[in-house]
Formats: sequence, C-alpha cells, structure tokens
Amino acid sequence: MNNVMTNETSTPDLSALVIDDEPQIQRLLSTVLEANHYRVTTVGSGQEGLSTSARQRHDLIILDLGLPDITGVAVLKRLREWTQAPVVILTVQDSEPEKIEALDAGADDYVTKPFSSGELLARLRAAVRRADRGKAEEPVLHFGNISVNLAARLVTRENQAVKLTATEYALLRLFVQHVGKVLTHRQVLREVWGPEHEQKTQYLRVYVQRLRDKLEPDPDAPVFFLTESGIGYRFSAS
Amino acid sequence: MEDANIHRPGFRFRSWRSAPVGVSTSDAKRPTILPRRRNEPGAAIFLSMSLTDNHRLKKFLTPLSRQYWAAAGVVCLVTLVGYPLQAWVNYQTLALIYLLAEVLLALVVGRSATLLAALLSAAVWDYVFVPPMYSFHIDDLYDGTMVITYCVVAFVAGELTARLRTYQETELRAKLLSESEKLGRTLLNSVSHEFRTPISAIVGAAGNLRTQGGLSTAQERLIGEIESAGARLNRIVQSLLSAARIQGGQLQPRLDWCEVRDVINASLRESAELLKGHPVETRIATGPQLAKMDFFLMQQALSNLIANAAVHTSPRTPIEISARLEGKELLMQVADGGPGLPVDELEHIFDVFHRLPNSKPGGVGLGLAIVKGFVEAQGGRVTAANGVKGGALFNIWMPAADNPELPEENYE
Repeated sequence: MNNVMTNETSTPDLSALVIDDEPQIQRLLSTVLEANHYRVTTVGSGQEGLSTSARQRHDLIILDLGLPDITGVAVLKRLREWTQAPVVILTVQDSEPEKIEALDAGADDYVTKPFSSGELLARLRAAVRRADRGKAEEPVLHFGNISVNLAARLVTRENQAVKLTATEYALLRLFVQHVGKVLTHRQVLREVWGPEHEQKTQYLRVYVQRLRDKLEPDPDAPVFFLTESGIGYRFSAS
Repeated sequence: MEDANIHRPGFRFRSWRSAPVGVSTSDAKRPTILPRRRNEPGAAIFLSMSLTDNHRLKKFLTPLSRQYWAAAGVVCLVTLVGYPLQAWVNYQTLALIYLLAEVLLALVVGRSATLLAALLSAAVWDYVFVPPMYSFHIDDLYDGTMVITYCVVAFVAGELTARLRTYQETELRAKLLSESEKLGRTLLNSVSHEFRTPISAIVGAAGNLRTQGGLSTAQERLIGEIESAGARLNRIVQSLLSAARIQGGQLQPRLDWCEVRDVINASLRESAELLKGHPVETRIATGPQLAKMDFFLMQQALSNLIANAAVHTSPRTPIEISARLEGKELLMQVADGGPGLPVDELEHIFDVFHRLPNSKPGGVGLGLAIVKGFVEAQGGRVTAANGVKGGALFNIWMPAADNPELPEENYE
C-alpha cells in the first residue's frame, strides 16, 4: 500500500474489524482502510465476527447488516455484551427499520451503500473520536455563534442569552453531548420525555423545530439540528 | 428504453400477489422461509409448485355431485361389509362402524355431503340391520333412542370435522399468502443487495483512486465519469425496485408525525446535484406543519417531483416548493417555470413507463408512477396541473385532520 501518504486526517495504528460476506466489499474496505493506516481484519460471517472480536480487541468494527448466517442486529447485540468499541453498520437504502433497530441496539453510526470512501472514513473517525472522548464532559461547548454552558445551564447566541424551556434545554443538552452521532427518535424521546413517551414523535418534531427557530442561522435550512430521514437526528458541530 | 416513447397504460409488473398460492400440508416442516437474502429464485417456483400435491383426493372430489356419490358409496360399502359381519357382531356395533366411516368421510368432503352420509347411513342402518330387518319400523324404545342418538352423533361428528378442516385450510392459506409476500420481499431485498454490492465497489473504488492522488486531468475526468455513471445506475436500480415494491404490494408505510420542513429539506439535499443552476424557492407556512407520513417514502416522492422539474426544464428555470395546511389536508406543491404539461397528457402522466412526447433522453418513465404509488400508499393523493404562470404544478395532499396532542410548557 501507499505508505508515504501523510494525510493530516489519517488515523495511525487503529485496528478495524470488517464483518461483511461480500469479497468485493471486503477488498474495497481493506484497501481504503489500510491506505489510511488502519490494521484491518476481515471476516465473512456473523459467527466468525463474534469469535474474532471475542479473541482480540478492536478499536473499530464495521458490520454489514445483511449477513448470511445471523442478522446484523443479532451480531450487534452479542458484540455489545463484551465490547464498547464503536460499531459502524453498512446497509442499503429501503432498510430503515433495520437501521433503527441496529442504532437502538447500540450501533454508533451507519453508512448506506453505495458510499464514498471519504464519507465512510469521516464517519469512522467521528465514531472513534466520540469513543475516545468517552464521558469526559466539557462544561462549555461552542457551535458557531452558539455556546452552551452545561454547568451554568446557560445558552447564548452571539453572546445574548437564549430563553429555553426545561424540555428545550434537556433536548439541546442531549444533542450537544452527542455531537455527530445519530440519535433515533426513540432514544431521544426516552431520554428527554421518558420511556412512556417513546412513540410521541410529534413532541420531537415540534421541539426540534423550536430549537431551530431559536438557534439556527436559518431555521428552514438547518446546519446544527440535522434530520436523518425517517431515523432520527444528528447534531452537527460544523 | 432511453429514447422510446413508451405508452402502455395497461402494463403491469408481474405482481407477487398474483403468484399462484397453493395449499401444501408439508409447510409446517419448512423453516421460516429461507434466510435473509441467501436464497435461490428457484425457491419461488418450488413454493408455487408444491400446490395441492397432498390434496389430490380433494381435488378429485371437488364437484359437489362427486362428493354426494362418494358419500353414498361409503354408506353402501359399509353396508356390504357389515352384512356378513352380522354373524359375529350385533347391530349396535355396526352403528359404530357407520360412525367411523362418517367421520373419515368428513375429512375429505364438504358439509352437505357429510350431512347426506349421516342421514343415509342412519336410514340404511335402520332399514337393514335394526330389527325388524328390511323395514323402517322400529319395535322398541331402546332401538328408537339408538337411531335418534346415532343421527345426532353422526351429524355433530361430521360437522365438527368439517369445521376443523375449514379452519385449518384458512390458516394454511393465510400462512402461505403471508409467506409468499415474505418471499417477495426477501427476493426484492436479495435483488437490491445483488445490484448494490457491485455498484458500491465501482463507486468506492473510483473514489479511492481519486483520494490517492497523482492523477492527470484526463484521468480525474474519467473517474468523475465512473462516479456519476455509478450514481445514475444506483438511481435507476432504486427506481426499478421502488416500482416493483409498489406493484407487488410490498410497501409497508410506517406512518408517523413528520414536520414537512424536514421532509422538504431532505428531498432538496438528495436532489442537490440535479438542482445545480436552478434557483429554488421554498415557501412553508409558519408554525408547525405536521402530518402523519412515512418520512422516507414522502422524501422519495418529493425528490422525484423535484428531479422531474429539474430535468425537464431548461437550465436556470426557477423551481418553487411550498407547503401549507389547507382545511383538513396538508398540501405540498412542486412548481416549475418551464413550458408546462400538455393538457391531453395529464391523465396518463402517472402511468408506469409513460413518457411525454419530446421529453429529453434519460430516465425510464418510472419517476411519477413511483410518486403516485408512494403517496397513495400513505393515504394521500397526487395531482398534476399547469400553474397560473404556465409551468408544471404537482400537488400532494396528505390527510392532516387529527391534530397531534402537544404538551404545554412555560419558560422557567
């Protein structure tokens, strides 16, 4: 592989486990990942994936949802019994219910086939970064001209305090604590409104729109509170 | 397919639902229909061929007259067998043999033939075996009770067996129908996967070449060609699969509250590449614009309308997208400043493979058919017209009568 490449975005020496049964995709992912300095192990079935992951630790797992032996979601649930390594799932369009199930089961992100290698690498980097940062919480977070002071429960926009209701604030806090991560409707509703309101997507729609109205530069073309079609939301810091 | 003006309003994809559905008792042994994806298309044929194999007898007996003859035949047979047996068994035991034949018969024939057999066997038994023999006359109370009891028991046994069988058949039929739908879905997923894997490899490999750098301008351009061809192929596969899902009744809309702004933004993001050079204006009424929709299906429907407007008008033609609640419906509109739609084509514009005369090459004539299929699957409707300024105007109406219950809250 091209070892002289010195890319500022390259991630040195991380081990990645690829669980996908398609040799073509395995080869493609190995090439792309090795070019970006990941050490790659590829396996072709869910069972192999589970046994490999149990034997050795990986910094990152890429899991195809359509495996021949066991469903991707089942693999994910088993993986989560012993590893907290970030899992990025590969899926195709039209499989929203599966994506949601996988995200609810602990997947960190998803990439829809066909994907560009740039997109995939960006998702992987973000997932690894989030895992590294762990629970270490910074008291003040800045996004564009917005700052959120979690310790003082203070939100400002261009240094002007923004008035938020308790629910709006809880929702914003959840988003800023999971920058770049897809949160399913269910995860957000459960966290902010409680498990008994898991089905009330309308709450979420209205409150996200309120946050956009108060914090987005253009509420109708959001850059922070991004909608993931039919799945949930992703808070973007850039 | 690209340049032909295909106009076949009657054309239908082969529907999964219309696939022959048969009754097969060996189904219980079959595991939940094939694992996801790794299946053979042959499985479909296997399923449709395993029809009625175990019901050949039933098939033979299907006409009602044959069932009656079978009922009479069984009664005759028992009588002929029972006659010489009289030397060893009494006539009460013979009633039990009739009863056994009656129940067995009920397993293969319908209700009316079972009833006929019950009455006939009661009459024959009474006439031939109950003393005095060869007479319907019954001497003592004991025999009378016996005949009446026999009639009732034969009738009830026959009726219960028939009911049980009808129930089993309904269950089996429902199971097979749902399995054939599941199979249709599985096959579609399999086809989807088979197409997308090579497309992923093509697009991914081309992109990777680009990021490795050191390419000449011509090579860069060729990689661009590979990528855009891959993206186009992916769109076509997506359209074909969507159309197949609609025609095969495989759409399962998941209706949930959606904010129309989100759906429109997602569609615009998806169509960004096609919209380059077209000024786009969105006008969404203030306040929450909520309706119960399937986010993904509605996003696809809107994307198709937007793509349609972008592709079929000249560059820099403005496109306007608007949404507002109108009465008890949410109205979403996609309008363009192009030449508009020929009035006599409006009626056929949503037909599968229908393309307007003189429309540009590219596209297979599925876009609008998919819009209609997706919108109607969610309980909405779509209409095409020409706007006041003459350009094409598409309206999507979604029911929004039952306003969602929203929590009240004050500032702290």
